[in-house]
Amino acid sequence: MTKNEKSLNQSLAEWKLFIYSPTTGEFLGRTAKSWGLILLFYLIFYGFLAALFSFTMWVPKYRDQILNPGLMVFPKPGTALEYTFSRSDLISYAGYTEDLKFLKLYTLEEQKNLTVCPDGALFEQKGPVYVACQFPISLLQACRGMNDLDFGYSQRNPCILVKMNRIIGLKSEGVPRIDCVSKNEDIPNVAVYPHNGIIDLKYFPCYGEKLHVGYLQPLVAVQVSFAHNDTGKEVTVECKIDGSANLKSQDDCDKFLGRVMFKITACA
Amino acid sequence: MHQKTPEIYSVELSGTKDIVKTDKGDGKEKYRGLKNNCLELKKKNHKEEFQKELHLDDHKLSNRELEEKYGTDIIMGLSSTRAAELLARDGPNSLTPPKQTPEIVKFLKQMVGGFSILLWVGAFLCWIAYGIQYSSDKSASLNNVYLGCVLGLVVILTGIFAYYQEAKSTNIMSSFNKMIPQQALVIRDSEKKTIPSEQLVVGDIVEVKGGDQIPADIRVLSSQGCRVDNSSLTGESEPQPRSSEFTHENPLETKNICFYSTTCLEASTSPVGTVTGMVINTGDRTIIGHIASLASGVGNEKTPIAIEIEHFVHIVAGVAVSIGILFFIIAVSLKYQVLDSIIFLIGIIVANVPEGLLATVTVTLSLTAKRMAKKNCLVKNLEAVETLGSTSIICSDKTGTLTQNRMTVAHLWFDNQIFVADTSEDHSNQVFDQSSRTWASLSKIITLCNRAEFKPGQENVPIMKKAVIGDASETALLKFSEVILGDVMEIRKRNRKVAEIPFNSTNKFQLSIHETDDPHGKRFLMVMKGAPERILEKCSTIMINGEEHPLDKSTAKTFHTAYMELGGLGERVLGFCHLYLPADEFPETYSFDIDAMNFPTSNLCFVGLLSMIDPPRSTVPDAVTKCRSAGIKVIMVTGDHPITAKAIAKSVGIISANSETVEDIAHRLNIAVEQVNKRDAKAAVVTGMELKDMSSEQLDEILANYQEIVFARTSPQQKLIIVEGCQRQDAVVAVTGDGVNDSPALKKADIGIAMGIAGSDAAKNAADMVLLDDNFASIVTGVEEGRLIFDNLKKTIAYTLTKNIAELCPFLIYIIVGLPLPIGTITILFIDLGTDIIPSIALAYEKAESDIMNRKPRHKNKDRLVNQPLAVYSYLHIGLMQALGAFLVYFTVYAQEGFLPRTLINLRVEWEKDYVNDLEDSYGQEWTRYQREYLEWTGYTAFFVGILVQQIADLIIRKTRRNSIFQQGLFRNKVIWVGITSQIIIGLILSYGLGSVTALSFTMLRAQYWFVAVPHAILIWAYDEVRKLFIRLYPGSWWDKNMYY
Repeated sequence: MTKNEKSLNQSLAEWKLFIYSPTTGEFLGRTAKSWGLILLFYLIFYGFLAALFSFTMWVPKYRDQILNPGLMVFPKPGTALEYTFSRSDLISYAGYTEDLKFLKLYTLEEQKNLTVCPDGALFEQKGPVYVACQFPISLLQACRGMNDLDFGYSQRNPCILVKMNRIIGLKSEGVPRIDCVSKNEDIPNVAVYPHNGIIDLKYFPCYGEKLHVGYLQPLVAVQVSFAHNDTGKEVTVECKIDGSANLKSQDDCDKFLGRVMFKITACA
Repeated sequence: MHQKTPEIYSVELSGTKDIVKTDKGDGKEKYRGLKNNCLELKKKNHKEEFQKELHLDDHKLSNRELEEKYGTDIIMGLSSTRAAELLARDGPNSLTPPKQTPEIVKFLKQMVGGFSILLWVGAFLCWIAYGIQYSSDKSASLNNVYLGCVLGLVVILTGIFAYYQEAKSTNIMSSFNKMIPQQALVIRDSEKKTIPSEQLVVGDIVEVKGGDQIPADIRVLSSQGCRVDNSSLTGESEPQPRSSEFTHENPLETKNICFYSTTCLEASTSPVGTVTGMVINTGDRTIIGHIASLASGVGNEKTPIAIEIEHFVHIVAGVAVSIGILFFIIAVSLKYQVLDSIIFLIGIIVANVPEGLLATVTVTLSLTAKRMAKKNCLVKNLEAVETLGSTSIICSDKTGTLTQNRMTVAHLWFDNQIFVADTSEDHSNQVFDQSSRTWASLSKIITLCNRAEFKPGQENVPIMKKAVIGDASETALLKFSEVILGDVMEIRKRNRKVAEIPFNSTNKFQLSIHETDDPHGKRFLMVMKGAPERILEKCSTIMINGEEHPLDKSTAKTFHTAYMELGGLGERVLGFCHLYLPADEFPETYSFDIDAMNFPTSNLCFVGLLSMIDPPRSTVPDAVTKCRSAGIKVIMVTGDHPITAKAIAKSVGIISANSETVEDIAHRLNIAVEQVNKRDAKAAVVTGMELKDMSSEQLDEILANYQEIVFARTSPQQKLIIVEGCQRQDAVVAVTGDGVNDSPALKKADIGIAMGIAGSDAAKNAADMVLLDDNFASIVTGVEEGRLIFDNLKKTIAYTLTKNIAELCPFLIYIIVGLPLPIGTITILFIDLGTDIIPSIALAYEKAESDIMNRKPRHKNKDRLVNQPLAVYSYLHIGLMQALGAFLVYFTVYAQEGFLPRTLINLRVEWEKDYVNDLEDSYGQEWTRYQREYLEWTGYTAFFVGILVQQIADLIIRKTRRNSIFQQGLFRNKVIWVGITSQIIIGLILSYGLGSVTALSFTMLRAQYWFVAVPHAILIWAYDEVRKLFIRLYPGSWWDKNMYY
């Protein structure tokens, strides 16, 4: 009687008629011509919009979101910055040493085309060709991975590389150095290479991947030395940028801004 | 020509047997039959079901039988103890107020209605997401909990807001409902006592004075000059005499029953009309109570706008849920984690639901309600604001709505000529020829043979508004003569009354004898008025141009013609005659004896006729014409007589001047009614009697085939049938009325309109709208406002829906393309509930695009508020353009900062990893997680600004649907500009003021990013102008059909 009480069959038939009606030739409520028109319309309309959209894309210009570089470490262990390894178990640190192979980029072979820049001063360039400075891997001393392919992991003296994030045009005011300390009092032995963790000013500024081909980030290596009786202890190391007036190492929200903290546990 | 045709009164008040069956001795049980009938009425629409209604035969019983039946004594009254017992059994003598929905239920309805459910789902999903996070990581961020709380808060706040708006409009009404407790004079324990009328019980003997309300249904035992005003019950505007005689089978027609809540009229002179009677029904069991229960038995219909909004909510919720589920499945099949998929789902829901819209609609409606209240339409139910706009049939009561509800002199007949009197509200313009000496005599009779008097202390009140002691026709005559002749009381003083026979139903005339102020002859003047045929019988001469002429057959014929003509106009005709008593027979000292009749009452001189009618309000004809041109059918439904009803219908244009009824055609062609081709008649006058014998199909046929219909002599139940009949035609029916008898129909109607001044409380309670000035013309204003609000709501919804796509696309792109999230859920809420609110309300102030009163009312099943073109155009055209524009701003910001669009693709996973703190951008710069997050917020802000800028263009284009913005006037609606300003200011505050509050995820955006989307905004405007241009150029074309919403 009322519309709500339509039988199932009726509504099914209505649906069928809606999907395709043989009398009017309507498919989903529209004839082929109507569908054609509407599709054509949308094709043109959206085509126009897409063209407009791609045409108006802008050229990059601003770098105001990253004023200060973050610090990051190598190797990158999974989800959190926690390293666990066992001196005797090669597998336990294989991943880490594998990660550290990226130092291959820093081999003399790779750097032979790079410029030897004057130390202790910003290396500003006007372009249009930008040259990259060499980073002598020997600065990393024990952690350069030349003699010791295990990067000290097999000796309970694991190396961890700290790098400063690249930011185009960033110039440090004052000589920055990476200062690493152990948060655990009884495990004091944290060595930093180069000496004092100094990053030479010649690596600033960087002009971006595209213009500044071959640019090598300066690295600082941290070597934590575990004693025999330190087995199973967790050591927290914090590295911070120091010595630069404009590079912040303290931010309430960003825990990686100018600093990095990681934990190492050496198992038996 | 006050001819009563009581036979056709169709309320059936028999059916004893039906009710006896359910009578189990319990007083309340007895009336179950009534309620059953009401229910069946709803179920079956068979009017036969409720024709047997009320068993009432007390009017047939003698006083003795009555005493026996009710165990009372006419002289002594009930005993107090017996009365107390009866009171305990039957309950107080008052009407049970209609059941109100408890406030808490109303409130909860707001909490779960509309989109609230979807938002609650969103909130719960947030909490579930947090639960999942927490179970795997105890330090999970509380963001999802906060978001859930915010969503819940949004629902609660908008719910409270809507509830408050509703309550505010309802509160206006409650002031009407204050009832003054009434007192009744009752005889109990053989003493006269005054008690609150609530305490009356069956069998009480009560005395009612003129001016009082009848306190219950009473059987009249004795009366003196009592007349009651039954207009609120039956719609008859004339007072009905009441006496103890049993005059009619029908209890509504018999003279010996007075009904609860009707008024006993004040008589002009002493003794004041009084009536003594026995209470036979109290409270809900009275006729009025029965009608009121009929009204409450009628379900409240959903308003058309409520249906439209529901339809709209279904569409949006359908889109939200289907896209949500679709993308949930896509997300899961793209190997996203369930948690992520849930978060997508939340985003999709929040983006799709226009959170602020329902509140906006409420505000818009209440703005219109306010505007209407200023124009004297008080809206009780906010949604009813629009109903009037979609109304296609108005069933109007006659008395008090179309007419002024007061007898007024309409025509005069003297010197063989009919003169028209001014019946407008102030009588200011009496243009008929007043130079004739016949008029001088007639006016003297009118002035002198009249017992009505102005109440004292009204010197400064305009004559037509002065309160008068006296019945309706005498009042009419008094005011008429006061307006023309000046101070009537002074004239009466100069012509002192020496004797008088008041009007009574057997004589049918009223007579008085006066000294005259004529300085030439100290003769007595006898003046008489009454039923024309009676007066004519007493006359032997007729005055023409001031001269007395013998009354011969030809003059008698002209008299009859005039009498019939005036009677045919539905007017109540009175005859006037006089006689100067010869001074020699009746010297100054002559003592007239009323009982002995020591004076002549025949061979008088006939002076003229005067006819009265309750005239239409002067604004009504114009209003009816406007309704006509707006495609609204105006049907008159009245309890009054067909002749009067038809006459008023003709004079107000409900029956237009050139249309005829079947009877008219039969009369004109001089053939039998049956021979007339029914198709020839445009108009129909249907009486309640005829209606009673009609099947619903026949009624449908009448309603469908005749353009102009008058229903006369209808009962409350029949009004209901008529309204239902109209609703069967798929019409949106408005019913106007003032009486208790109208309340069921008012309730049943899609919109019930009660009269604010004359309306009874029952009518006002049942109505959705109250006309404060009782003026039918106010309805036209209401219709106009209603139609405007419908159009403007369309615009508001189109405006609001558009940005949903721009809010939704980010989530879809995020899932499929893996961009860093372009807009956050909180940001969306800031658009929906922040920047967009005032602009969408501003659209309510938009003026009509064309003459909305010249188009047909919208078809309630076809002209939807949200139709396919509206949704498609908003979502797929403007919405997509907006989304593109907003993405442009987003990509610009990212690109400027180092992330080119192609780098962004599929960056999401890396982007969101907390431990990746050296993510490279397109230029090899490395970003910590927090730096990226901050950039992401800047992206949100950019996207937000993109939407905001384009919403300004959207707001401007939504001003019109067909006309160019330049035709409509860009600056005519100032509120739009307030809206735009507010939008920008809120945007600025959010970005620059609250940019440092991390929880809101807004950042300070570089100024130039505000202008990135401007070209897109201009494109939107230009595109819409093109759309409108083609719609105007090619009406009915493919474009028009697909693009006009």
